[in-house]
Amino acid sequence: MLLGIDVGGTHTDAVVISLEGGVRILASCKVPTRHDALLSSVTEALETILGQVDPAGVTRLNLSTTLSTNAIVQGRTEDVGVLVSAGPGIDPHNFMPCRNFHVIDGSIDHRGNEVRALSPRQLSDAVDACRANEVRVYAAVSKFSTRNPRHENAIRRAVLQCREEADCEYADFVTSGHQLGGALNFPRRVATAYFNCAVWRLYNHFATAVERALADMGLGHVKVNMLKADGGTMPLTRSRRMPVQSIFSGPAASVMGIIALTDIFHDSVILDIGGTTTDIAVFADGAPLIEREGIAIGSHPTLVPALKVLSIGIGGDSVISVSEASGTVRVGPNRLGPSVCLGGGQPALTDALNATGACAVGDTAASRAALEALAAAHSMDATALARAAVDYATKTIHNATRDLVDEINSKPVYTIHELLEDKRVVPKKVYLMGGPANALKMPLFERFQLSTEVPAHSGVANAIGAALTRTTWELELFADTQRHVLFIPSLSYRENIPTSYGQRDAEKDAMNQLAMQLDSMGVFLRPEDAQITHSSSFTMVEDMEQVGRNIRVKSQVRPGVVATIREG
Amino acid sequence: MLKADKSLGIVFFPAFDWAISPTHPERQERLLYTQDQLREEGLFDIEGVTEHKPDVAAIEDVERVHFCFPEVSAVTTRSHLISAGGAMKAADLVMQGECDRAFAMVRPPGHHAMKVVHGARGFCNINIEAVMVEHIRETYGHRRVAIVDTDCHHGDGTQDVYWHDPDTLFISLHQDGRTLYPGSGFPHELGGPKAMGRTLNIPLPPNTSDEGFLMVMERVVLPILDDFKPDLIINSAGQDNHFTDPITDMNFSARGYAALSDMLKPDIAVLEGGYSIQGALPYINLGLCLAMAGVDYSLVREPNFSPELIRQDARTTAYIEELCRQLPALYFDPPPYNRKNDVRQGVISGNTLVRQRQIYYDTDGINETQRETLFLCDECRGLLKVETRADSGPQCLGVEIPVHACPDCRSRGYQIVEDAQLKGNARYIQLINRLDRDYLRVGF
Ligand SMILES: [Zn+2]
Ligand SMILES: [Zn+2]
Repeated sequence: MLLGIDVGGTHTDAVVISLEGGVRILASCKVPTRHDALLSSVTEALETILGQVDPAGVTRLNLSTTLSTNAIVQGRTEDVGVLVSAGPGIDPHNFMPCRNFHVIDGSIDHRGNEVRALSPRQLSDAVDACRANEVRVYAAVSKFSTRNPRHENAIRRAVLQCREEADCEYADFVTSGHQLGGALNFPRRVATAYFNCAVWRLYNHFATAVERALADMGLGHVKVNMLKADGGTMPLTRSRRMPVQSIFSGPAASVMGIIALTDIFHDSVILDIGGTTTDIAVFADGAPLIEREGIAIGSHPTLVPALKVLSIGIGGDSVISVSEASGTVRVGPNRLGPSVCLGGGQPALTDALNATGACAVGDTAASRAALEALAAAHSMDATALARAAVDYATKTIHNATRDLVDEINSKPVYTIHELLEDKRVVPKKVYLMGGPANALKMPLFERFQLSTEVPAHSGVANAIGAALTRTTWELELFADTQRHVLFIPSLSYRENIPTSYGQRDAEKDAMNQLAMQLDSMGVFLRPEDAQITHSSSFTMVEDMEQVGRNIRVKSQVRPGVVATIREG
Repeated sequence: MLKADKSLGIVFFPAFDWAISPTHPERQERLLYTQDQLREEGLFDIEGVTEHKPDVAAIEDVERVHFCFPEVSAVTTRSHLISAGGAMKAADLVMQGECDRAFAMVRPPGHHAMKVVHGARGFCNINIEAVMVEHIRETYGHRRVAIVDTDCHHGDGTQDVYWHDPDTLFISLHQDGRTLYPGSGFPHELGGPKAMGRTLNIPLPPNTSDEGFLMVMERVVLPILDDFKPDLIINSAGQDNHFTDPITDMNFSARGYAALSDMLKPDIAVLEGGYSIQGALPYINLGLCLAMAGVDYSLVREPNFSPELIRQDARTTAYIEELCRQLPALYFDPPPYNRKNDVRQGVISGNTLVRQRQIYYDTDGINETQRETLFLCDECRGLLKVETRADSGPQCLGVEIPVHACPDCRSRGYQIVEDAQLKGNARYIQLINRLDRDYLRVGF
């Protein structure tokens, strides 16, 4: 049996799924999320749901949590020492994420040549300054470290002065930029390494507590995975060094839920309509689209891989307002408690849907009364007001979706071939989930003029998504046959290669390393789940002579689910 | 986060699947390291800096500018049309107000492509700046345009396209033609009789460094731009003046390029040459993007850059100072057009100007013989006729009725095309009628 838990903004959802004799949901529950004590929400959900099945049969728990996201949003993070080597370019002080930030002279170029060694004097001064400020976690980041991590390694050594964090009396944790992945983008690498350190302690305390709670419940044998924003999971032990990857995994859980609950072949739009927001995701040829470089945390773009999800301030609890001047009816982006029908004070979208008869949630008479009061204050008819509110909500969702699709379609391409292919995303179907999904089905169908579907079990789709999401991993391989070196940044793996090393060799090595990585995490890789997502080879020429090849290969385990649940 | 002072649209099209030949300087990975550098710097995360997809230029976008023989598809590939379309996209971003400025970082380049095209010259087939400028004029109305060509090679193609156009100011800074391809671009080349002083060439001696380039900008280029008052300033941004460029002999630096761009403040920049793909392009292109976006570029520097090693000597400085004294007069007070004996420069007899020329297409190894006739008119810019033949190929004819043409020049243009069709002395005939937007091609 597989367990899935999604700690959401309002509710923590949990499901137990059996894969034996067809995929079945054995139990599900919803408990309120207590943001000041997330672990208690998790344990409450676990206890509720384990009362309905035999705990001994549970083999895996996949968990999606807002812990790291909340810590950052609420500023409950730890001081980080950020030590960078930037070399020439944009002044790195523009990307300073915190006060213990030090720029060390030194430079590595785009091919990974060390142009200038790190200044040992500046480095030790920076470390001393951080220690004086009682900093215990550090980010070591250099420009082009994904081509040559020499400077990051030197910074790490200077911080620890011993091989492992466990042996070190001065520091508890160091994030090296190149281990975050092979993508180029120094400012994002700085921000990602910073956030990884800033939530590290808090996250690890949570992870330890989860493991202890499971042991206490007799679930010590359960393998625990954490959801990532890219629609995959990582083993809990792995996530302890990569807590930043758990950020924004909520929308990913809902997208994976849709994948588990439906058969998506076409270009499609997924709308997860919650209490406060609607998350919009786009599928091309049945696969979810991803952020090109990584998700932004606040105003800091990062290298954290993520599904492309646009979140807008329209949900069931979004307040209805009427403009004094024009009489225009608006919905959102604010939420002032629940809708009136559920005990709130101000009429919200769910009240309007109650009033039009699209649904019957809670106290429908209260909805009607609140809308009549609001309508009277603006000399309007209550039914017309309710319709206008629903219209406004569907129009806002429709416009945001269209903008998102336009943005996706205007993304730059780099080869003639890509431009000629001219693949455009043209949605043919809309999938709805979340509380108001059924009530908004017809209004959204009229707006989009596309087939609109609300899958069964969509109420706990997030937890289902979490439960069924499989482990993903990706890596980038760089080979430079002139310098005779192959490098996989995220693994800090370096190897010497012969002059004859070619693009096919690189692709084979990238796939092998991917399989080995997953194997070391205890995950069996089915060959069909792994793929090469980028492969290029450029001949390098000097003085009219071909001197070597510059090869870049990226491989990944596609995000996906281990099984699907279909009606019937 | 960083915010751009001027919003900058970047059309980046490295054409990673196109090359002239495996070891040619203009090959697949020319912009590879630039791409790495721009990505690693996080350029596209700067607020106000955006990346855009190129358009693909249509045949008619090319035929608005060039006489292509036998036809456009025979002298261009898909990548040429995308490169020109990239420049057009940059122009649209600015003209439609989506960005304050735009940089088309595209390849292949175009500034050696002349009015008539039989093939490739200096790695160029079609003139992507000219295709862009005429797209602007056709789409957004006629504009006064200044093109400042900062490529190390003389922009002979662009000069040729705008030789007779008084509304286009063409200024080329380049390594002296006595020492570098294409061997032209001397101060006495000032434009045709109807556009004298609208072409200005600034040949700089080998080893000119930042000091010399910035001096010429300050003392010659900026005062002339001030006077010409263009609606648009375009920079043909060739990066081959760099001290590491393998095919030239100049000593310009990345920061110097950025400072130049900062002074010029181009509305649109279009990448031209630049073949030091590892040691120069990543840094120059980064500096240029930052300068155009109004973001600090003072820390952009090549690995182991040392100003002392590339500093120009006193003789070079003295020579350039003298150029700065003499050149502005050629624009502000051009000499009278007075060509009587030199058929290569053109001879005026009665109301026609006739130029006889031999043009060599070095990249494709083609020889062209050309006879150009401009009908001098008091009412308009004048009707242009070009009779041309490449090596042993057939005779071809190009006729251009300019924008704002007078009725006489217009009807004479159609007459010439009709006569040529009847007499059949030209296998291929192309008419460019900018007045009525009538573009005609006949031939078999
Ligand atoms: Zn050049
Ligand atoms: Zn006329």
